[in-house]
Amino acid sequence: MKFLASLRSLCSALFQSKQIDAEMDEEMRLHIQNRADDLERSGLSRGEAERRARIEFGGVERFKEEVRETKWVTHLDSLFRDFLYAIRNLRKDRKFAFVAVFALALGIGASTIVFSVFYNLVFNAFAAKDASRLVVPVVQDAERPGDERSLSVPFADLDVIRNQNRVFENIVGYASNDAVLANDGPETYQFFDTLVTSDAFEFYGVPALLGRGIVPDDGKPSAPPVFVMSYRTWKGTFHEDPKVLGKTLTIDGEQRLLVGIMPARFQAFGSQADIWIPLSRLTGTPSAKGEFSAELLARLKPGVRLQVASADLDVIVRGLATLHPSEFPKHFTVRAESATDYLLAPRGGGAVFRSDIKHLLYDLLAAVTMLLLIACSNVANLLLARATIRGKEMAVRTALGATRGRLVRLLLAESSVLAMAACAVGCLFAWLGVKLVPIIMPRIGDIYGIGRMAAETGPGLDPAVLFFALGLALVTTILCGVAPALHVARTDLQPQLTGAGRGGNNAFRHGKLRAVLVVAEVAFSIILLVGSGLMMRSFYLLTHVDLGFNPKNVLLTFFVPPHSTGGATRIYASERGRSVLRDVVERLKALPGVRSVAVQDTIVGYGPGRGLEATSPGSAHSEEAGLLGCDENFFSTLEMRLIRGRWLSEREVTNAQYVGVINQRLARDFFGEADAVGQQIRVKAFRGPVGPPQDAEFQIVGVVADVKNAGPQQPSMPMIFLPYTVRGGFVLLLKTTVDPASLRHAVQEQVWAVDRDEIVGMASPLEDFLQRFTYSTPEFGLFIAAPLASISLFLVIIGVFSVMAYTVSLRTQEIGVRMALGAQQREILRMILRTGFVLIAAGIAIGLIASYALTRFLASQIWGVSATDPWTFGVVVALVVITGLAACLLPARRAAGVDPLVALRYE
Amino acid sequence: MTVQAQLLPGTLDLLILKAVSLGPLHGYGILLRIEQISGRALLIEQGALYPALFRLVRQRLLTANWGKSDNNRRAKFYELTSEGRKRLRQEASDWNRLVAAMTSVLGTQPEEV
Repeated sequence: MKFLASLRSLCSALFQSKQIDAEMDEEMRLHIQNRADDLERSGLSRGEAERRARIEFGGVERFKEEVRETKWVTHLDSLFRDFLYAIRNLRKDRKFAFVAVFALALGIGASTIVFSVFYNLVFNAFAAKDASRLVVPVVQDAERPGDERSLSVPFADLDVIRNQNRVFENIVGYASNDAVLANDGPETYQFFDTLVTSDAFEFYGVPALLGRGIVPDDGKPSAPPVFVMSYRTWKGTFHEDPKVLGKTLTIDGEQRLLVGIMPARFQAFGSQADIWIPLSRLTGTPSAKGEFSAELLARLKPGVRLQVASADLDVIVRGLATLHPSEFPKHFTVRAESATDYLLAPRGGGAVFRSDIKHLLYDLLAAVTMLLLIACSNVANLLLARATIRGKEMAVRTALGATRGRLVRLLLAESSVLAMAACAVGCLFAWLGVKLVPIIMPRIGDIYGIGRMAAETGPGLDPAVLFFALGLALVTTILCGVAPALHVARTDLQPQLTGAGRGGNNAFRHGKLRAVLVVAEVAFSIILLVGSGLMMRSFYLLTHVDLGFNPKNVLLTFFVPPHSTGGATRIYASERGRSVLRDVVERLKALPGVRSVAVQDTIVGYGPGRGLEATSPGSAHSEEAGLLGCDENFFSTLEMRLIRGRWLSEREVTNAQYVGVINQRLARDFFGEADAVGQQIRVKAFRGPVGPPQDAEFQIVGVVADVKNAGPQQPSMPMIFLPYTVRGGFVLLLKTTVDPASLRHAVQEQVWAVDRDEIVGMASPLEDFLQRFTYSTPEFGLFIAAPLASISLFLVIIGVFSVMAYTVSLRTQEIGVRMALGAQQREILRMILRTGFVLIAAGIAIGLIASYALTRFLASQIWGVSATDPWTFGVVVALVVITGLAACLLPARRAAGVDPLVALRYE
Repeated sequence: MTVQAQLLPGTLDLLILKAVSLGPLHGYGILLRIEQISGRALLIEQGALYPALFRLVRQRLLTANWGKSDNNRRAKFYELTSEGRKRLRQEASDWNRLVAAMTSVLGTQPEEV
């Protein structure tokens, strides 16, 4: 308090109120002296004259105060006093202050967390300069809705786009490779490298953490070879050792100098990139096979709209498509998509990996706004109750000359003290909560696309976010404080002073306001609960989909020789490739903790992607079927289910026989009820490990239950499982008895023991792929929405409890009369419960109607369950009714326990 | 002693403006001037003069300067600004209209209705 007092004197000194005070003092003193002179002249003694003059003048201090009131410094000063008074008042009523601050802090904290996520992903997703103008060209296959991918063109064609467009400031390209080996003397590392055009780093505009980024001169043919490292790799592999800078590593056979390390928030150019290598004009000569196909990142010229850019781009890309018809879909459109949108709607492999994070974020923001409103109405309710209890105090203040404005200000000061305290506590909550966010943040950048969203780029409490929290405090002050303040401003003081205020008409009126607030709280909470209930049910269904295989304890890995991008499937056509594969499989089988090893060619659950046209001889039916090359162990490793016939035999796989196992879907589509085993299936333009594409026929030896092959959400497409020796395959599945992730190193060692030059890619548990591709986004939404809904229910309990407790205290007298007239305790209990139930029921009714209208906005976030799922709605209603009535029970029992004698005297 | 009339709320400002319009005055001088020209008919609470003066200065209707009074005391002299003069004219005419209206209302005889 001393501090505030000194602040006050500082203020008055600042605004010279002392000087004005002194001048006025003197002026009034002179006035009195003049008057006394006159009176003396009329014959009074000097003493008597001065006394009379002073009496006639009146209270000097009163007039001085009146002057002070007209100055704004005084306003400031009395504002301080209001705050001091508010703090003192709240300290007296700690229980109230604690509940109010806690409720608001939950609201503000939750809002701040959600906003910080939103801010970091939507407003501030990229550290790049002018990030809002970054765009990614996207190609949309006109024949397959939802099949979109970012445009990639050979590096040489980049110049075509650069020169022909009129909408981009600049456009840069990058190409991510699978992995390269880097040697530092005896030490070997495996890095994901990304080739970038030499102007890419300058374009992005983020300075290096150490050393320098790639500069345009690095792209000159004569330039010494260099590379730049990501923060993640520097930290993970080199433990942030600054001495690594300036080292020369042999990367992919070429000596390269490490010139820089990029900061954590440099999420461009290859989401997995460990190192970046400048594309030199010489080595970057585009090959005819399109191996150096570049993904693009462009910056719009200022003021150019996306539609304009899309139109411009469309024309240019159509020109390119006529040059490389095989690289583009038959019918397509091209558009420029903002980099942020692209990041937030990751896609790949058709619609398989698509997740709509942007809409999820908007939904969460709406949810947290509702939570904040619940918290505010809660506190407004508590303040209203206090205002009524303090009605007499207010009346006395008014009688003593306080204006209504003054009283309103007092109440607003109180609510702003609460809001400020809540803001501080809420920021603490947020600070703790935001640390958890990166753990549940979907690793969308790790899948596809340009961005990387992981722990190192997770949201923090940056100034913008704190500013937001402060703004929230201001809004909550107004939201909470206005109702009680209005109540005071409107109250008729007379009955308060005469003691008739209690339980009177006026109490009823704003009892109604309080009821409305509780109803609104219940309604909002219903919306939140229904929303998160739907998400929960959807997530449960999603994680319990019958995949057709068991992903538990399966490690997926592959290894390829260097420079094999694109043609990886066919690598093991060579005798040497086959022998390496055989040796590695034998070694892995012998590894402790490995139960079986299978060879195949896809990420199980998400592939094979597109199929080939298949027909059955003697049948008119023709349909696209996915082909999956695998070996005899595939079936048992994945614990698939056999419907008919048998699985591929070891002999068939070794001898590369043209036999196949089909899935149920294909069997049904082609053969209906008939037995498919023994039938033939013809695949058009089949491409084996060697030779040109040609039609091939396979004899069906078995039918298996459908295995998901386009993600858990999509129905399985028709599939044919072929011997990998016919089809090609290089991806290994290891069924383990231990945690599959723990075998990563051992797998790499075994591969390198066979061939030092192999690159081991993607040694990840199969469940990780499901988690990343499919579960992570809904899980993220659920992990934020469910706590919000729980908090809202908790706040509703507080709200219902406080309003009921208050009602009971207002009606104590009435209850006493009823009991005196013979009402039973049970009847009183029922009466109070009924009052509470009416409030809850009204809230539920409104909440249900609102939910019914609003959950459609959640449709993109839920799967497998209707947005108006009656089960979810029912469970939520039951939950709210039970908890709401429980919150009524305590006040109701207190009412039933009223002693009529005490109650009648109660005042 | 003549019967003294209580001031109507809001009229004090007008009286001050009028008093000062006749020449710069200090606070006590204004009091005397009003008493003199009203024939001591108007009763002014002496202290109330000062908050009013302060207010008028803040509204820039008056300016205030320290000077010497007749009896050689320091005194703060108030003077009308051009804005104050305008306000005085305005308020005086408003007042006159009000008085005329009130007079005619109060003077109405039963047969005139």
